[in-house]
Amino acid sequence: MLKLIGAALVLFAGTMIGFVQAARFAERPRQIRQLIHALQRLETEIGYGQTPLPDALRRMSLVLPPPLSGMFADIAGELRSERSSTVNESWERVLGEKWGATSMRAGEKEAMLRLGASLGGSGRDDQLKHVRLAVLQLQDEEAAAREEQQRYEKLSRSLGVLGAALVVILML
Amino acid sequence: MNIDVSTIFQIAGIGIIVAMIHTVLKQMGKEDMAHWVTVIGFVVVLFMVVRLLNDLFQEIKTIFLFQ
Repeated sequence: MLKLIGAALVLFAGTMIGFVQAARFAERPRQIRQLIHALQRLETEIGYGQTPLPDALRRMSLVLPPPLSGMFADIAGELRSERSSTVNESWERVLGEKWGATSMRAGEKEAMLRLGASLGGSGRDDQLKHVRLAVLQLQDEEAAAREEQQRYEKLSRSLGVLGAALVVILML
Repeated sequence: MNIDVSTIFQIAGIGIIVAMIHTVLKQMGKEDMAHWVTVIGFVVVLFMVVRLLNDLFQEIKTIFLFQ
């Protein structure tokens, strides 16, 4: 009886691991897409509104869903606070802290870090160019992420179930 | 002869599951990993068979060598 309960638990846990992995693969392209939309909004804010960077970042955080919105809200808050750090410093720090909470990988982080290095430090046209460059890179990453999702989403799901079944049979 | 049949069923189950994992991995284009899974499954089954063979030889020794 106890054996049966244990087997059921192991099976359940393996299945859940597979589903969580699949959800990560499914979440990545969606978050990259949201990031692209946010950057396009930032481009508009810089290009036409000439909004100060903290305000622009705060407005970006208002339109974004949770895991990404916190990131920009933090950067905006840090820029507003008394401690005077440069945009680049706080950008890098917040990205380093919060990147683990998202499903995105190193490629997107690299593009965002490069954008942060030039944001708020040069003229308007230069910043716009860098934002567009970051958007292009993110679009590339999104295409790759979509392909990866199609390949690995089902794979990780069935692999979780099968691996759990294998462990159960081995220990029975 | 009270050898338990469950070990044989266990080996059969491992074979089925490993074959399924191999198929899934191969379909998704990860053939190297598929082969590793097969090899590892084979080794595990081999250990089980070795244990059974050990029992068999012990039995033969006790029957024919009159310790």
